[in-house]
Amino acid sequence: MNSLLNLIVNGLATGMLVFLLAAGLTLIFGLMSVLNFAHGGLFAWGAYGGVWLYGLTGSFAAALAGAVVIGMLLGWVMERVVIRPVYGNHVQQILVTLGAMLVLSELLKVVFTPNPLKAETPAWLSGSWDAGGVILIKYRLFIILVGALVYIGLTLLLRRTRIGLIVRAGVANPDMVQALGINIRLVFTLVFMFGAGLAAFGGALLAPYSGVVFSEMGMQFAILAFIVVVIGGMGSIQGSALASLLVGLSGALMAYYVPDLSLAANMLLMVLVLLVRPSGLFGAKGGGA
Amino acid sequence: MTLLKLESVETHISQYHILQGVTMDIQAGEVTVLLGRNGAGKTTTLRTIMGLNAASGGRILFKGEPVEKLPAYQIARRGIGYVPEDQGIFADLTVDETLRIAMKRGDPAARERLSWMLELFPDLAAFRERKSGLLSGGQKQMLAIARAYVGNSELLLIDEPSKGLAPIMVRKLVEALRLMRERTTVLLVEQNFMMAQAIGDAFYLMDEGRIVSGGSMAALNEDHELRRKYLGIA
Amino acid sequence: MSRTPLQPRSEPAAPPKRARSVMGRLSALQGRSSRTHNVVVLLLFVLLAALPAVSDSRSLFILLTQVFILAVFAMSYDLLLGFTGIVSFGHAMFFGLGAYSTGLFLSRFEATLPMLLLSVIAGMALAAALSYLVGVLSLRLKSHFYAMLTLAFAGLLLVAAEKWRSLTKGSDGFTFAIPEPLKDRATLYLVCLCTLAAVYVALRRFTRSPLGSVLQAIRENEQRTESLGYRIVPYKIAASVVAGAAASISGSLYVLTLRFVNTTVFSMDMTLNALLMTIIGGVGTLYGAVIGAAVIEWAHQLLTDLAGVHPIFERWIIFFGLLYIVVVLVFPSGIAGTCASWLSSMRRRRQPEDPEEERP
Repeated sequence: MNSLLNLIVNGLATGMLVFLLAAGLTLIFGLMSVLNFAHGGLFAWGAYGGVWLYGLTGSFAAALAGAVVIGMLLGWVMERVVIRPVYGNHVQQILVTLGAMLVLSELLKVVFTPNPLKAETPAWLSGSWDAGGVILIKYRLFIILVGALVYIGLTLLLRRTRIGLIVRAGVANPDMVQALGINIRLVFTLVFMFGAGLAAFGGALLAPYSGVVFSEMGMQFAILAFIVVVIGGMGSIQGSALASLLVGLSGALMAYYVPDLSLAANMLLMVLVLLVRPSGLFGAKGGGA
Repeated sequence: MTLLKLESVETHISQYHILQGVTMDIQAGEVTVLLGRNGAGKTTTLRTIMGLNAASGGRILFKGEPVEKLPAYQIARRGIGYVPEDQGIFADLTVDETLRIAMKRGDPAARERLSWMLELFPDLAAFRERKSGLLSGGQKQMLAIARAYVGNSELLLIDEPSKGLAPIMVRKLVEALRLMRERTTVLLVEQNFMMAQAIGDAFYLMDEGRIVSGGSMAALNEDHELRRKYLGIA
Repeated sequence: MSRTPLQPRSEPAAPPKRARSVMGRLSALQGRSSRTHNVVVLLLFVLLAALPAVSDSRSLFILLTQVFILAVFAMSYDLLLGFTGIVSFGHAMFFGLGAYSTGLFLSRFEATLPMLLLSVIAGMALAAALSYLVGVLSLRLKSHFYAMLTLAFAGLLLVAAEKWRSLTKGSDGFTFAIPEPLKDRATLYLVCLCTLAAVYVALRRFTRSPLGSVLQAIRENEQRTESLGYRIVPYKIAASVVAGAAASISGSLYVLTLRFVNTTVFSMDMTLNALLMTIIGGVGTLYGAVIGAAVIEWAHQLLTDLAGVHPIFERWIIFFGLLYIVVVLVFPSGIAGTCASWLSSMRRRRQPEDPEEERP
C-alpha cells in the first residue's frame, strides 16, 4: 500500500514535469506547426540556471523565476534567429531546431563545466510527511501541486484572456487572425517564449527532485515529451496533460516492477496510439500526411 | 469617391504568375462584384489586397495611401475586412469569443457595430455561446461577415458568400448585404449571377489573371455578348 | 477556386504523361554530368587504392578508413534526407544493429571471413526489419512523426543495449577477435574503400532507378507526386529500408576497425555524425555525404588537437552545431551543392553557348 502510493506520487510528479515540457511543445506546434527539437535544451538550461541561481541567491523562488527568464530569453533568440527564417518549410525547421539543441546543450558544458552539478532541495521543501503510516516526500507533492496549478492557469489563460482566444484562433487559422488586424508573428514569438519559459521552469523544478543536473537530461525528458505529444495529440493541452500523467505513472510503475522495460512500455503505448488513432487521443490536427 | 485603387497589380504564387496586371477602382458606398470563372484569379485578388499574398508588382491604394507593402494585420487595421471563401471559422471558439477578438480594443464604435450585426443576423444573437464549428453553413457565413465588419467597417472583401448555401439562406444574405451597403463598401466575389445582379452596383470581369471588362451593373445587364463569352449565360 | 494556380488547370490531368515528363527531365539532367562524374570517381578510387603502395603512415590510414566508414553511414542518411525528404533523428539505431551483430557473431563464434559476412547480412536484415516497422508506423503521417519516432526508437535501443548486459556488457562493451586477413591495417583500409565504392555505386544506381526518380519527385512535391497516381508511402518505406540496411553495413565496419563494441554505437552522437556530414557536405548527391564525412572527420581531428591550445576546442560539437545551423539556413545545398552551382554559373558566364557538361 505504502509503496504503491509512493509509486503513484512519483509517477504523478514525473508526469507533471513532462507536462511542463509537453505543454509548450504542443502549443508551439499547434499554433506555428513548428516541432521544436530544442525544447529539451531549454529544459536543461532551466535546470542548470535554477541550480546556479539558487546557489547565488539562496532563494528557491528566485531560482525558479530566474530559470523562466533564462528560458524565455533563449526562446526569444531562437525564434528570431533560427526559426523565423524557415517558417513553412518543415524539413528545414526540423533540422534547424535540432541544430539549436546541439548548440544549447554544448553551450551548457562551456558555461557550467561538462560535469554534472549537484542540486539542493530548499529546506522548507525537504523531508517528508508521515500521513498515517504513509511516508510522503514533500518535494514530490510540491511538484504535483505546482504542475496542477500551471495546468489550471494555462487553461484559464487560453479560455478567458484575449491573448488566449487569439492563440486558439491562430491554431485554427493564422491567416484569418492576421486579417483581423492582429500581428500573428508577434503572437508566434510570444507563444514560443512562453513555451520556452515553461520548459525551463520544468527543468528548474526537476533539479532538486533528481538531485543532480547534466546536459543530456534535456534529451531524455524531451523524448518523453514527444511520446506524450504523440499520445495526447499535437496541439491539445488537455491531451498533453492526460498523456503526461499516463506516461509518468506507467514509467514509475514499470520502473518498480520491471525496471528494464519502463521506456519500452511508454514507447509501446505510443506505437499503439499511432496505429489506432494517429492524431492522438485529443488531436485536432496533425494526423494526416 | 474612390476608396480602393489597384494599378496593374501582379502576384506570383511559387512559380505561377497568377495576377498579371489587375487594375480597378472601388467606389465608396457601392457593392462592386468581381466576376469570372474558376481559376481567373478572383480569390488571389482579394488575398493580395488583404496582404495575405504578396503583390510582386503594381500598386494598391487604400484611401489614397499605398498599402501593397504592408503586412496583412496593418492593412486590416486601416479598415479592410476579409471574409474568405471557406469562411475561415475558428471552430474551437464560440460566436461570442470570435466577435470579441475581432473587435478592436478601445474602439467605441465597435460595440455599436456589434449590436447592429446581431440585429441583422438574429441567428448569431441566438447562438452566442455556441462553438463556431457547430454552426450551420449559413450561420458560419453570417459569423464570418460579422467578424469582418465589427473590426473593420470601411471596406469588406467577401469571397463567394452564397457558395453551398440553400436558396433561402442566399435570400437572407442578399437582404443583409443590401442593408450593409448603407454603411460600408463591399468588394464581392460571386459566381451566383442572380445574387450579383441583385446587390451589385458595379462589376469587374476577370479572366486569366486580368481584368477584361468593367462598368456599372446595369451596363452588364445589357451586354449579352460579354455575358455569353465570359459567364456562359445569355 | 483561384487559390489553385492557373497553369496546372489548363494542362492535361492525365497522370502517366506528367510522370514521364518529371522523370524525363531528371534523367536528362543526370545523363549530362554522368560521364565526367564516372571519370572523377574512378580516378579517385584508383588513387586511394594505390595509397598503401606509396605510404605507410598509420595515422593517415586510420583517418581515411574512418572517413570511408562514416561516408557509407552518411550516404545512407542522404538517401533519406536528400533523396526522399525524410528527417530521421535515430539513424544510429541501424548503425548500432550492424555493429552489435558483427561484434556478437565474431566474439561468440569463430572469427572467420564467412562469419563476418554472415554477421553483416544479419545486421542488414535486422536493420531493414526495424526500419520497415518504424516506416510503416510513421511515414504515412507528417514528417515530424518520423523524426520523433526514430528519436524515440534509437533511445529505446540505447537503453536496451545498456540494460541487456548479459549480451552486450552495457557501456563497458566487449572486445573481440577479427578474421586473420583483416588484421593488417592496409588490408582493412582497402576493404573499407571497396565497401565505400560498392555502396556508392549501388546507392547511385538505386537513386537513378525509376523508383529513385519517384523518391525525388516525392521530395520535390509530395502532393503532386501523389496526385500523379503514386502511392507515396510504400516508396518512402522502401527508401528507409534501403537506408537502414546500408547504415548497418557501416556499423559492422566501424566495430571491425575498433575490434570493440559498446553502447556508443547507438548514441545520439552517432546520429549527429550522419546529420552533420550529410547537411554540411550537401544533400541529395551521395558524393556530398562523402565530402561531408571527410571534412568533418578531418576537422574533428584538427579541433581535438587544438584542445591543448584552449579548452573551448574540446567542445568541438559547438562549432559544428553553429556551422550546421548556418548551412541549413543559408546554404541548404551544402558544400557539394553550393560548389556545383557556383561552378556551373562560372562556366555559363565563360562560354554561354556551350550547354555541355556540368562537373559534379
